[in-house]
Amino acid sequence: MIEATGIERMFHAHGAFTGARVVRALRGVDFTLPEGGAVSFIGESGCGKTTLGRILAGLETFDGGTLRVDGVDVSGLSKRKRSGVFRGIQMIHQDPYSVLNPTRTVATTLAAPLKSVARRTDVAERSRELLTLVGLDPESVLPKYPHQLSGGQRQRVVIARALTVDPRVLIADEAVSMIDVSMRLGILSLLRDLRERLGISLIFITHDVATARYLGEGGELHVIYRGEVIERGPVETVIQSPVHPYTQCLLSAVPVLKGIEAPGPDRLVPRATLDAAADTPGCLFEPRCPFATEQCRHEHPSLGAQRIDGEDGSAGTQHACFHPAVRNVAAVDLHPV
Amino acid sequence: MTDTAAKSTDTAVPAQAHAEVAVRDLTICFRVADRGELPAVSHANLTLAPGRITGLVGESGSGKSTLALSLLGAVPPPGRITGGSVTISGVGDVAALRGEKLRAMRGGQVGYVFQASQNSLNPLKTVGKQLLDLGRAHDVDDLRGLVRRARELCELMGMDGARVLDSHQHELSGGMRQRVGIVFALVLNARVLVLDEPTTALDMLSQAAVLDIIAKVHEEIGLTTLIVTHDMGVVSELADNLAVMYGGRIVEFGPAEELLRSPSHPYTKALINATARVTGDITRAQPLPGRPPDLASIPGEGCVFRDRCAFVMEVCATVEPALAPSAGRADRSRACHAEVETVTAS
Repeated sequence: MIEATGIERMFHAHGAFTGARVVRALRGVDFTLPEGGAVSFIGESGCGKTTLGRILAGLETFDGGTLRVDGVDVSGLSKRKRSGVFRGIQMIHQDPYSVLNPTRTVATTLAAPLKSVARRTDVAERSRELLTLVGLDPESVLPKYPHQLSGGQRQRVVIARALTVDPRVLIADEAVSMIDVSMRLGILSLLRDLRERLGISLIFITHDVATARYLGEGGELHVIYRGEVIERGPVETVIQSPVHPYTQCLLSAVPVLKGIEAPGPDRLVPRATLDAAADTPGCLFEPRCPFATEQCRHEHPSLGAQRIDGEDGSAGTQHACFHPAVRNVAAVDLHPV
Repeated sequence: MTDTAAKSTDTAVPAQAHAEVAVRDLTICFRVADRGELPAVSHANLTLAPGRITGLVGESGSGKSTLALSLLGAVPPPGRITGGSVTISGVGDVAALRGEKLRAMRGGQVGYVFQASQNSLNPLKTVGKQLLDLGRAHDVDDLRGLVRRARELCELMGMDGARVLDSHQHELSGGMRQRVGIVFALVLNARVLVLDEPTTALDMLSQAAVLDIIAKVHEEIGLTTLIVTHDMGVVSELADNLAVMYGGRIVEFGPAEELLRSPSHPYTKALINATARVTGDITRAQPLPGRPPDLASIPGEGCVFRDRCAFVMEVCATVEPALAPSAGRADRSRACHAEVETVTAS
């Protein structure tokens, strides 16, 4: 469905005193999204995960690498063809409060793309269908304005709007972080449902490991650090037996639900905070890594240099680390069923 | 298990005797045109035991921030306290304080870290200048001492004090600004620390770092801490006690570990079940139907949670359950008509 190889993106920053400098937001990201599959990206703020999402949705250009959608390289396409390709890839943004036009009712919001893009004649009927699909009651929601809806309802309307053009891929960028806790899981299971029932592929971008686990079940998890994928593999394998120290730090930071979970025995804390400007010939995570050695300071480990296969012979994880070791950092369930 | 039970019972008794903060039967109403007085907080009882961390968990519109602001005597108009009291030891009833006394209490006895406090620093002044402003506003004579204290607090939180005081807000990261907010709340030697959503807008690693610091500061200074949050995960690791709010009511209260292990209110139970977790069976997570009520849609009578409740009975529509000790325990209470066993067993 989507095939990305070596995606690079640079931003040119101009500081009044620091002068011109180049920020490498993405440093050669590769991944494949299979038809009906799911790929999740996790990382902390500023790691480039949102930039990646915008590139995949066609909202941003990239400086290197190739992006193929259904085998077609999107770089050389005419404007018209390009917009046709990216119509099939829709994005769901983080903030459902700012992406809906406050002067339009839900009915108008849905009707516009149905008429002009999807060229449908059964606009009213299709709107109802879509709202039912996303778990809303069409009769009560259609005449309402965004401010009359709760955050969860708005996000469902946003999803319905994305579905008007019959997309084959949905990109959810922190789609639940601004929604009330009791309604988060509802939105997540709606997205899971869409994947199952309509065969829509999902790309999920987040800093929250637990939601990535829930939404990306059965898919791949990519851990991004400063624009570089440093570990990837099946979601469950990466979470239960991570080998890269950065992945381990991320997992250790997930709060433990005292009473029903016990903290992982090897919990890790990074040595310092992120310095996005620091340049190093070695491993990018080296300044913060508790296990860094002389080698890490001078050589850059690349993804796939080593490969540990799953115990049952299944696809294992790939990582970019000179000193990989499995550590038990994720919380442990105290009441396994 | 026996260990924690013993610990909580022996603290529960003195906690009742001298609470650092005691909220009693507190009702806060907002006057809305045509609708009259709508209660954002209704008959809330909450005791903050000295030296403990209490987590106040609720969704948006549950009244948790309003309740927390009442500790400062700063309920935003048109809201006002219409009943009950907020007693802080050594200060008395906050609702009765006026003028100079109220101003001295804010910051002096109760330190408050506001929601999105990382965005509340003045962008034109260095942190140090803002600190001096704070000192002058509170008539601190020894400003040098104040700066010294601020630097100590910075070091305690793992920051270079001199550098931070010389910085403008844009030179600090989100996590550092949040820590500066905590420094400001504590620099006048407050004994009670209230943090409203201390980790929203921070990513996982900064969140973990801030939570670590809160635990450390709490311990070293010997504070009584209240953490207000919408995310059970944020407080579950830190808090000794948890209070769960829904629709302006405190629906369950108890020692954190026990409350998470065996929640006895249907809302607490559903909320824990609706949390995506990194461990355990994924399919066990169950979405909670419906939506939380806001000020206008809180039902006038009966239980506020009944529309979304799995254990709803006839009586729930008419009689509002009161927050009462559950199973004869002084340190656990709940507001529900259903039997404890019915809720915990399912």
